[in-house]
Amino acid sequence: MSVLELDAVHVRLGDADVLRELTLSLDARTTAIIGENGSGKSTIARLVGGLVRATSGTVRVLGLDPVREAAELRRRVAVVFSNPDAQIVMPTVAEDVAFSLRGRHPSHPERVAAALDRFGLSALAEHSSHELSGGQKQLLALCGAFVREPELVIADEPTAYLDARNAHRVADHLFVDSGHRLLLVTHDLDLARRCEQAVFVAGGRVVAVGDPVDVVAAYERSLVW
Amino acid sequence: MVTLFRPGDSVWHRLAAGPKAAILAVLVLVVSLLPLGWGWAAAVIPAAICLGCYAVPGIGMLPLAAELLAARWIILVTLAGQLLFLGPMAAAVNTTRVAAVIVVAGLLALTTRVTALLDAFERGLAPLERLHVDPRRVALLLAVTLNTLPVLARAAAQVREAQRARGVRPSLRRFAVPFLVLALKHADELGDTLTARGIR
Repeated sequence: MSVLELDAVHVRLGDADVLRELTLSLDARTTAIIGENGSGKSTIARLVGGLVRATSGTVRVLGLDPVREAAELRRRVAVVFSNPDAQIVMPTVAEDVAFSLRGRHPSHPERVAAALDRFGLSALAEHSSHELSGGQKQLLALCGAFVREPELVIADEPTAYLDARNAHRVADHLFVDSGHRLLLVTHDLDLARRCEQAVFVAGGRVVAVGDPVDVVAAYERSLVW
Repeated sequence: MVTLFRPGDSVWHRLAAGPKAAILAVLVLVVSLLPLGWGWAAAVIPAAICLGCYAVPGIGMLPLAAELLAARWIILVTLAGQLLFLGPMAAAVNTTRVAAVIVVAGLLALTTRVTALLDAFERGLAPLERLHVDPRRVALLLAVTLNTLPVLARAAAQVREAQRARGVRPSLRRFAVPFLVLALKHADELGDTLTARGIR
């Protein structure tokens, strides 16, 4: 099954045409979306995550319509944003992770403990989420996303606020194969090269799709200094 | 509810969230409804209730002092207003009552995990489902409100720091506009987070 099928998708936000007649089919396990600021990368991520509606065209994520099958989409897709502060909902680390499972999994203490252990947060379980460092907060956001065992993880510039060490840690967690697919929006071209497939977006249109090395090279050639 | 949960093993920590909320609500009502005609007793009783609530093993006077310190502006403004219009006796009684209500209510957040509060609120509000009130949504509103306080405090500090760094003289208007923008931005991002986590 394709991760993502976009057919002639147009997205207009206010007076701006953010995505223009975009047609795209992605089926790799890990895909990077690259492009300059304002190119429409994040809008693609938000569209796939069901946070933005297409003005026209057809969107299918894991075979689902993000608008009509929103509840099913939420069960199968997790989204991680760049700002770690805005992703904290509960006051302690363990409670924030458990919040992702609220009303879904009756046996969640074990799953929460396992997820905290996987992301190296067990020792901070009772710690205030707001007092974590930026890197720890982003790991918490990842932990809250992965504890649901999603089929697809959408990460919108997840390393943007982080130093090199924490960026590596977050990226390593994203790329570990735990049965999920990854759609990664990033300005970090090294991260893009780690993916199986890349998409270069400019002006709301797809410029290149394919092998990350070739797509990143095309993007670098497009940059006018 | 000025301070959030602190882990512990006091009698208040061990009480289930529902009964604890009920007991604290009764205490808050008692403090609020004491007649002014009782004179100084109307100030001494709330103060005694406060001390009694906090003077249990596992809590102590430090958290009480922290709660009072955090609520200092509310207490000072109340005291000043009451002194101005009602005189020293009524000011002392009413200010003590306001402070007591804040710190007694604060015990709920201080000794109860937000998850337990959410569960208790959901159970407590369940009968309202017949009136098309969604208990999960109301409980979530409570949790998000509690959790947003430290974020807004940090946003306020950021605005003040940025203004100091640029040599801007402090004023309410110069503070309020960027603070409001940051708060609205956070609300937008939090909305996306909740949607992405399956909350509609």
